[in-house]
Amino acid sequence: MTSPAEALERRIDELRAAVRKAVTAGERDRARELRKELRRLEDAWDEALDELADQTERPVKPVPRQAGPLLPLREQVHQALTLLGAPAAPRLIIAVHEAFHVGEIIPARLTSLRRDEERSFRTAPHSRPYYLCPALTADLLAPARGLLAVSTWPMANRVIGPLSPRVDFLISAIRLAGHLDRIPDPSTDARRLLWRFAANIPGAAPSAAAMTPAAVADAAEAELDIHRDSDRSHREAAAKRAREQLDDIEQLFGSRLRGVASTGS
Amino acid sequence: MDNDTSERLRRLRGAVPAKRHNARTVAALTGNPGCARRAVLDAAGVDKEQLARHVGFPAKFGQSQFAITRGNAFEAQVKANAFAELIRLLRETLELELNEVGQTDLEEVGGNTSQEMRHIRSRQKLTGAAADGESTFFDHPLLTLDVGGNTVYLEPDLVAFHHNGKFHVVEIKSFAVIDDQADGGKVAAAATQSAVYVLALRRLLGDDDAVSDEVVLVCPKDFSNQPVATKVDVRKQLIVLQHQLSRLSRIEKLVGELPPALTFDLAAGDDGKPTRSAAALTAALAEVEARYAPDCLAKCEMAFFCRKEASGCTATLGINVREELGGVETVAEALGLADGSLIASDSQAEAAAMLRTTAEIYGSVTA
Repeated sequence: MTSPAEALERRIDELRAAVRKAVTAGERDRARELRKELRRLEDAWDEALDELADQTERPVKPVPRQAGPLLPLREQVHQALTLLGAPAAPRLIIAVHEAFHVGEIIPARLTSLRRDEERSFRTAPHSRPYYLCPALTADLLAPARGLLAVSTWPMANRVIGPLSPRVDFLISAIRLAGHLDRIPDPSTDARRLLWRFAANIPGAAPSAAAMTPAAVADAAEAELDIHRDSDRSHREAAAKRAREQLDDIEQLFGSRLRGVASTGS
Repeated sequence: MDNDTSERLRRLRGAVPAKRHNARTVAALTGNPGCARRAVLDAAGVDKEQLARHVGFPAKFGQSQFAITRGNAFEAQVKANAFAELIRLLRETLELELNEVGQTDLEEVGGNTSQEMRHIRSRQKLTGAAADGESTFFDHPLLTLDVGGNTVYLEPDLVAFHHNGKFHVVEIKSFAVIDDQADGGKVAAAATQSAVYVLALRRLLGDDDAVSDEVVLVCPKDFSNQPVATKVDVRKQLIVLQHQLSRLSRIEKLVGELPPALTFDLAAGDDGKPTRSAAALTAALAEVEARYAPDCLAKCEMAFFCRKEASGCTATLGINVREELGGVETVAEALGLADGSLIASDSQAEAAAMLRTTAEIYGSVTA
């Protein structure tokens, strides 16, 4: 379909040629007639163009959301995890992504992501710069339920001892607070996310409105001091064990304790 | 339980697998301790829901899917971010120290979710808790309890271990606490259910003093999703429960009084429906005495059947009426005593006098 503007353009071109021919042939009256017609068409063309601009202006708004950074899902998750600096649950990863980036992550796709990563590593080991893998439990070195980590992190950061969930929670709070301090105008979502941490850290903030990222970071740091050493020694020991006992794939994706029934068949 | 009795119970159940108990059904055992029908059916592990449906009184029973979803969502919220909200609440309610944040996930063992594995590991971790002091929170441990000779698996939401050596059962419920008040019935149900966990945990540890008889109930506050924690004393529920469980194991006497050929066999024929006729099962049910109370409707699958059976009896009017009218069995009898058309026996004299007085007052008011 040709738009009215396009039809006008074609007609204008034809008219211009006709005007030129009339002038060169010395037909003054005809040339004047044609010129008048040409001007009328040019005005109509201007109007058609304005109309076209109006039409396209309305759907312009949602464009940035769709067009956003069209990163693959794994990149988006990697971004969120890097920001948090510690293994995190899918729910938190999504919350972080929504607070700082455009576009949305569909929870169901996160579930398949972990399987895809493992399959990819098994078929072509170490071919990607990083893999998204489960955190490992310190005692059994098995995948921890619902916690994602990045393969490039040191082993000790990827294993989860008894104190680690809280330690990682505090580390994430500090990282988030730092990030909020750096960006000029944090969104409401971002502040709300930090408040979810601050509300559960002693002395972090009296209320959501009075919360400052720096105070949250200080309070989290204070509690972190209590747990840090015992958690570190626990995690280091488990990491050492993991490096000694597990093969490449298991070091990333954990060893699974199989039931009697499944090994028996 | 001796072999005779377990053989007898097996025969009562027939050729179908025993129905498993859970915390709710164990808690419900305490609801109507006087009911022999319920005691026998539960001890034998008969599928009461199927039985009730087959004899024509299906019970709309169990939790609604919406309630289950809401409950799970609230629990996930409270436990999100490494128990962030729970840690804050329990620091306040149980006065946990700042360093008591260790967590052990007992919902699976290295990807294995079989009940046996989880129970073994829960036992290992819980009995070792005092010694290694690593963990304060045990997420979804799997406990066992012996109910009338059957092992029942129970899964509390959370068990918290306090530095003074006490375990606390934490129960997360999604009914609201509005202005510091919650629905009494729901709190009572939650308390009884928690008492089942406390008992199971005590049996597992072999030490009654190690588990606090105060459980922590976590509920949403007012009309928000903000959780609030309250301590609930479950000593009374524990006593009732223990009594009820010991009574279950003394089921011999109840069973011994039943006709030897009695059975509630629900074994299915080729068409997937029980082979025995509804009439035969109804007759079998009539052999075991029930003790219906309106309360049963909320607690027992057989309630609609028993209510039909008890229609015209004073018991259907509630426990209060039943107790006031001791010795007067039916409503017709009560009315007869009230208008003087029946002569009261010695055991009914007291109730009859009260009925007559009430009738006179009622008559003078309505006249």
